[in-house]
Amino acid sequence: MANLNGRARQENTYDAIVVGSGITGGWAAKELTQKGLKTLVLERGPMVRHLEDYPTATLDPWQTKYPQGQLPPDELNAHYAVQKRTGYTLTEYTKHFFVRDDQNPYTEESRYDWIRGYHVGGRSLTWGRQSYRHSPIDFEANAREGIGVDWPIRYEELAPWYDHVERFIGVSGQAEGLPHLPDGQYQPPMEMNCVEKAFKAKSEARFPERRITMGRTAHLTDPTEEQLALGRTKCQYRNMCIRGCPFGGYYSSNSGGLVAAERTGNLVIRPGSIVTSLIYDEKKGKATGVRILDATTRQEEEFYADVVFLCASAFNSAWIMMNSTSSRFPNGFGNGSDQLGRNVMDHHLGVGASGEAPEFADMYYSGRRPNGIYVPRFRNLGDAATKRNDYLRGFGYQGGASRPGWDRDLTRQGRDPSGPRGFGAARKAALSQPGPWVIGLGGFGEILPYEDNRITLNRDKTDEFGLPTLSMNVTIRENELAMRRDMQTAAAEMLEAAGFKNVEGRDGGYAPGLGIHEMGTARMGRDPKTSVLNAHNQVHECKNVYVTDGAAMTSASCVNPSLTYMALTARAADHAVQARKRGEL
Amino acid sequence: MLLSRRDAIRGLTFTFGAAATGFAGRAMAAEPALAWTPTALTPDQARLVDVVAELIIPRTDTPGAREAGVPQFIDRALADYFDKAQAERLRAGLVRMDVDARAAHGDVFVALTPEQQVELLAGYDREASSTQGQTAGGGHFFPLLEDLVTVGYFTSEPGATVALRYDPVPGAYHGCVPLAELGRGWATR
Repeated sequence: MANLNGRARQENTYDAIVVGSGITGGWAAKELTQKGLKTLVLERGPMVRHLEDYPTATLDPWQTKYPQGQLPPDELNAHYAVQKRTGYTLTEYTKHFFVRDDQNPYTEESRYDWIRGYHVGGRSLTWGRQSYRHSPIDFEANAREGIGVDWPIRYEELAPWYDHVERFIGVSGQAEGLPHLPDGQYQPPMEMNCVEKAFKAKSEARFPERRITMGRTAHLTDPTEEQLALGRTKCQYRNMCIRGCPFGGYYSSNSGGLVAAERTGNLVIRPGSIVTSLIYDEKKGKATGVRILDATTRQEEEFYADVVFLCASAFNSAWIMMNSTSSRFPNGFGNGSDQLGRNVMDHHLGVGASGEAPEFADMYYSGRRPNGIYVPRFRNLGDAATKRNDYLRGFGYQGGASRPGWDRDLTRQGRDPSGPRGFGAARKAALSQPGPWVIGLGGFGEILPYEDNRITLNRDKTDEFGLPTLSMNVTIRENELAMRRDMQTAAAEMLEAAGFKNVEGRDGGYAPGLGIHEMGTARMGRDPKTSVLNAHNQVHECKNVYVTDGAAMTSASCVNPSLTYMALTARAADHAVQARKRGEL
Repeated sequence: MLLSRRDAIRGLTFTFGAAATGFAGRAMAAEPALAWTPTALTPDQARLVDVVAELIIPRTDTPGAREAGVPQFIDRALADYFDKAQAERLRAGLVRMDVDARAAHGDVFVALTPEQQVELLAGYDREASSTQGQTAGGGHFFPLLEDLVTVGYFTSEPGATVALRYDPVPGAYHGCVPLAELGRGWATR
């Protein structure tokens, strides 16, 4: 191992190291560099430069190699046995932004769909971009109900950091004045279509507590000077976001945080750097840096810094900590609580309802809106009227109305019975017109933290670099199953109240991981005996290591988590800079 | 809304025939020239696919499957996209079409009249709809072929931009626009 001394050591020394370059790594890099710290970002995958490295971003439908850009079954089965499970993420347009499963093995003690991408920007390039704040009741729920441990912070402590993040990334949305879904700093909301507007009016008349609003999404609809100066422009309604946006219309690390960080002159990004462990100095009682494996040369190397931010994703940050053993930390870094790798949470989904809208046959829309409608949580809000006796917490719905296109007639998609049949001119003419309106709602439900929902380090099974791998053992329980029944029923009620036809509730099943919101593996808490991180995302047992990705989450809420990860990261970076100035790190 | 194909097709009336397809008389010369070189299909199969594709999506006031390059698209799918089972299913189907054509009318499929051709296709469609969902893993060749024609056509440049509307960079979203102003369905969503 390269144990560097003197000049070589100095060359590998920074003020801060950030592990990972995704949605939190980009934020840590931005905040730390803007506050004057020389920062090294270590990314295990290859470089992806904004604009330059989006090879499929402007492909037209007729320019794909394969039908509809779908990968051949042989390729999917051989290389993407897990990544293909979402059914929508892995295509010819996107495969370079997802891992090959045959090269990145793990063990499924129970089924776990670990959907991920290893490259600069990580999943900030392919995320769903829905951006909601956790609410006061989310931060209080564990303590009130005696579930898991209490969050060591409250909403009010994070609120200014939500403001800070929303102003920088740009979130379009509608303020609603709901205490259980706090408003933020919004650019103008996107527009509902005719059927969604009618749905809102009719459903809210019947169920006033079930607010229907426009999705809050990290797209620019009225960019600020700061966003324009970074080279980002307004969303162009292409809805090809997952390929990378040539307009910077949505927020990614690549178009946002990393660009801002680079402009400070304080940033170094080193792609191809697999961080294998933290270096712990027993005498100093703190971490002095990290060890990496160079993905190309397969050489080990060390980098040093006063402060280390783990932003490698919930599972990989936990993996690094579990793989960082020493006489001080025989069971993994900062794992005196034995909570490392436990309390895995996600959002359970795949359940809801759909219907048909006979009205508005003469109306259509133009542009491809990369967003839908949102129904904020309306169960268990703390009052008697919303209290459920069959489960704790709640769910939100994401959905929308649209008119199916020409592909409604494909047999492999189940062929719309109302669609045109036969061969020849009549069918061709019919498919050249949009199909009848359809509308759907899909739930995103909170999963409780269960100690035995955990990932563990498997030293017996190694990857191509000879590194240990993860084993997953995560299941949903009675609380989630009871919630799912309500998620289906309540969605159908709303669609029926709005007068839609052929309303069908549906539970298409859910496997842990499919929400692609894994979190909780190094939870924040007040007590080092029962949690890994403190109120500032510092490892309780080693204060100059911060973990600010999904690993930190003490509970899951039911809203998409990335905005909260970013706010926690910005807040932790500010804390690290101040603590370093005070000589506390 | 995603019902099974069997449910979807049950009891529906087909609108076949020369009037619907726009053909009259013999479909093609016995040995129509092929303007391109297939890689996965044999020349005879390519001619067959060419005729079937144009029957399914004929030229009207907008280009048809042939002009949109659908036969070439199917050749590429067979070469690069299909797995072994799918490729075998499609190839066996193409062989069968000529066998059935000979048995019923004494000549290969491409040599039949459009009425005869459409009658055979309708038979395959009925057959496929009655077996759909009953054979695990397997399946009838005809939906495979029909889907390829539909996908190949509506994702082609003429299909997407002439038969449908395509806008690579809309720039804005308008949620309530009279369909009459747009005229056709969008190629992508």
